[in-house]
Amino acid sequence: MNSNIRMRFKILFYLLVIIIIVLILRLYFMQVMSGELYAELASESITREKTISAPRGNIYDRNGKLLVRSIPIKAVAVQPNVVSGNESVMRILSGCLDIPYTKIRKDIEESNVSYMDKIIIKQPVDTSVVIYIEENIDKLPGVEVVDVYLREYSYGALASHILGYIGEISEDKLKSEEYNNYNYEGGDQIGLGGLEETYESVLRGKKGKVAYEVDPIGRPVSTIQEIDPVSGNDLYLTIDIDLQKIVEEALYQSILEVRQKKIKDTDEYYKATGGAVVVLSPVDGQILAMASYPTYDPELFVGGISKDDWSNLNDPENNYPFLNRAISSFPPGSVFKIVTAYAGLSEGIITEGSRFSCAGIWYGLGENFPKSCWLKSGHGSLNIVGALKNSCDIYFYQVGYGLFRKLNNAEELLQKYSRIFGLGSETGVDIPGEDTGLVPDEEWKAEYFKDRKDYSVWFPGDTVNMSIGQGDLAVTPLQMAQAFSIIAGRGIKYRPHLIKEIRDGGDVLFTSSSAREYEDLQLNKDFIEAIEKGLIQVAAPGGTAYGVFMDFPVDEIPVAAKTGTAEFYGKQDYAWFASYAPAGNPEYVIVGMIEQAGSGGSNVAPIAERIYRYLFNID
Amino acid sequence: MIKRKKSKDTFELESYVREKRAVNYDFILFFMVLAVSSFGVLIIYSATRETFPGGVTDPQYYLKKQLIYLAAGILLFIAVQFINYRKIERYWWLFLIAGIVSLASVLMFGYEVHGSKSWIDLRFTTVQPSEFSKIFMVICLAAVLSKWKKEKEHRITFKKVIFSLAVALSFVAMVLLQPDYGTALIYLVVYIGLLFISGANFLYVVSIVGMIAGGVFLAFNAGYIKQYQLDRILVLLKPEVYPDEGAGYNLFQSKLAIGSGGLLGKGLFLGKQTNLSYVPEHHTDFIFSVIGEELGFLGAAVIIISLGIIVWRCFYIAARASDSFAALLGAGIGFIILSQIVINIGMTIGIMPIIGIPLPFLSSGGSNLISMLLGIGLVESIYIWKEVRKEYEIAYQEFK
Repeated sequence: MNSNIRMRFKILFYLLVIIIIVLILRLYFMQVMSGELYAELASESITREKTISAPRGNIYDRNGKLLVRSIPIKAVAVQPNVVSGNESVMRILSGCLDIPYTKIRKDIEESNVSYMDKIIIKQPVDTSVVIYIEENIDKLPGVEVVDVYLREYSYGALASHILGYIGEISEDKLKSEEYNNYNYEGGDQIGLGGLEETYESVLRGKKGKVAYEVDPIGRPVSTIQEIDPVSGNDLYLTIDIDLQKIVEEALYQSILEVRQKKIKDTDEYYKATGGAVVVLSPVDGQILAMASYPTYDPELFVGGISKDDWSNLNDPENNYPFLNRAISSFPPGSVFKIVTAYAGLSEGIITEGSRFSCAGIWYGLGENFPKSCWLKSGHGSLNIVGALKNSCDIYFYQVGYGLFRKLNNAEELLQKYSRIFGLGSETGVDIPGEDTGLVPDEEWKAEYFKDRKDYSVWFPGDTVNMSIGQGDLAVTPLQMAQAFSIIAGRGIKYRPHLIKEIRDGGDVLFTSSSAREYEDLQLNKDFIEAIEKGLIQVAAPGGTAYGVFMDFPVDEIPVAAKTGTAEFYGKQDYAWFASYAPAGNPEYVIVGMIEQAGSGGSNVAPIAERIYRYLFNID
Repeated sequence: MIKRKKSKDTFELESYVREKRAVNYDFILFFMVLAVSSFGVLIIYSATRETFPGGVTDPQYYLKKQLIYLAAGILLFIAVQFINYRKIERYWWLFLIAGIVSLASVLMFGYEVHGSKSWIDLRFTTVQPSEFSKIFMVICLAAVLSKWKKEKEHRITFKKVIFSLAVALSFVAMVLLQPDYGTALIYLVVYIGLLFISGANFLYVVSIVGMIAGGVFLAFNAGYIKQYQLDRILVLLKPEVYPDEGAGYNLFQSKLAIGSGGLLGKGLFLGKQTNLSYVPEHHTDFIFSVIGEELGFLGAAVIIISLGIIVWRCFYIAARASDSFAALLGAGIGFIILSQIVINIGMTIGIMPIIGIPLPFLSSGGSNLISMLLGIGLVESIYIWKEVRKEYEIAYQEFK
């Protein structure tokens, strides 16, 4: 062998050594230097986590009657970013779920992939479908069967505006700050209205988790960690579901009856497009019943609401069944007069004995601005009691005018007292969507009519109009119930609320009494008693609601009430009836309102009368 | 001096020398090969006992199969040692015919796996002729490039280069027809290695390398090289580009498996990435991933060093061979093993393109193991049948 070849063998030997060193160095970098990083990546790549939904808390009424419960069902969920574009998966799903292929494809492709890690394609699904999917999971990457809790309503549509409903979390909510503090995922059911929404964090419970290892096609091979879900807490409402039923029926029947009536001297029927009734406890602010008509069936939302149902619920033709009218604002009309009365007494415009005379027409604002009373023939001479009893407009015009003239309306006294009685701001009731209502004042008017200079000034006539609950004043039935509760309770203002207790199984976590919010408004008891005297007269012979309370034992159970018939530009009159009983020792405040239904005394008072009969066990 | 006496004495002398030579055996090579191959059986068992590749139902299927191959391979290995390599040199053209015929028959009767027609089904087992042909090609090239009988001294002439190129390219062409680009690459590397070690003028070596590079370039331009094959090379440059599919997925999973093994590994049978089949072909081409994951850096380094020792022994024996054929044969076997180690292990740790070739002695599969043992048998034969003049002289002295 020559030296050339010998040299080449030497080169070869060194080459071998270099190769071995390079390979080992490379391994050293991978395994020793970056070993932990790779180990982490590796464990991530084979570990999957799956959340387990927690059963949502149940909802009971004040007497422990089950209103809403959670029922577990199986649903088929997909990860859109995995399934999208995988035609064979979508075809298999279409076949086994019996959904048209085009629909599945559309649902998956239209979901926002970056936020919706998971969307529910179908729920509930049969056991046979669950078994089929689990057996063929290797052909269905990105598809899984998940547990979903749906709602079951023991009383159907009853109290639906209070309870609210649940539905799939939207992409916007998933993104929002508010929903960030909990590990929501696409496909989760959340409260979307009523108490379900307010108490979402109480009802939802705590999700469980399973961590498991999967093979490359995603089949689980072993479980690493399992955390059981924790059920949500139960709500016990202040609502008495039996009373709620009576209230809703009474409201519904009255509306049907009103629709049979014609407006006086015309051929036009009352439309009675909707209404609301609130039954409130004046001693603690508990809402015992709250009805709104028209209503909707929360069952429609179980398993996702259909497009048709949704558009029906939002169709003006159907008078907005979604709207909770108990917390929506309307012109109050004469039921507002209690505020005017208290303001007048308190500001010394009138005393208990002051008398004004009503001739059916009043020229206090000038010859060119005559204001008439609802009773064209006039009421004659009246004090505050008589004025409330007869709901004399002219009496209250003069009180209102007096309030305006005091310090030239510098303090906007009528507005001030309206606000004391809780109008113009939310009552703070624990369901979403509450209107603040409107207490119009100079500032508001200037802003509202800023394009019409001649209109943007607060006129004396504005205060005068407002004194009988007209003008731009808007009040929710719940606010009015709170105002009457203040009169009934001699100046104590409670926050109306719907939750009596929150329980975790048997343990009571929260009671409303422990957190009872009230405010003593420091009102003058004598003035209130004077007003109450007038209100009692409303249901007494000669009062505006006497016709309805004729057969009611007002001697034993004095009812303090006020009727209202509010004009609404372009609409029929809105009928109101606000009351409490027994006066002096109040147990219940009942406020009712029916849209476009004329007189409150004849058309809404019967609802309250019927409810009082039920409450006081009178046949 | 010895040749002069062709008598009974001579015969007795030869048998005496042969007796002596029985001890003259490279035990390092033998034990390293035995150890690595046996370890291969174990690691194949670890890689297949839970994953059942190929849809087998017996968790010990691959263990049993590999044990049979190992036994057969060792028998062949021992048998080959008894053959004087000089006989092989004389009949080298038989191996040329055997190689080309077997490669031709695979094209006719073979069946496809992963798009390559590389396998022949012999009913009782399957055979991959391109594995054995590696050895055959090395025998042929060694014969062509060694000192021809009519030559006074060993020289690499232009004629020899052309002749050797023809032999190499005919083997390469047969393999490319399957098509099995990985094996073809090994053939070419081995050929270039042999040309280099034969002592050929660097000009020849460089021009052959240039020709091959040009050929690959032309093949690519003519569309013979497919995009996925290009991806396997590109994946090296930017592995994060394709972590989900194809070559990138393989590489990513292999790196995860090996990297996660750490210093000491997860323990034999405990490699999750491989046992859950995340690493594809983990009992064949990616067997090193299993080693890296389960035995860690230390285990993997021991395996690399062991393989390195085997290659070293091949080159060592070749460098000390008594003639140029033996030197080229030994070096050729060394090149086969070395090139496969570099490409295969390099692939699993992301420094070589994804090329589907087995890891010698370790990957599951009979053809690979048996042909490797055959090759080592030849190397031992070189060692055993080495003609050491000094030895004869000492023996003669003793014999007297």
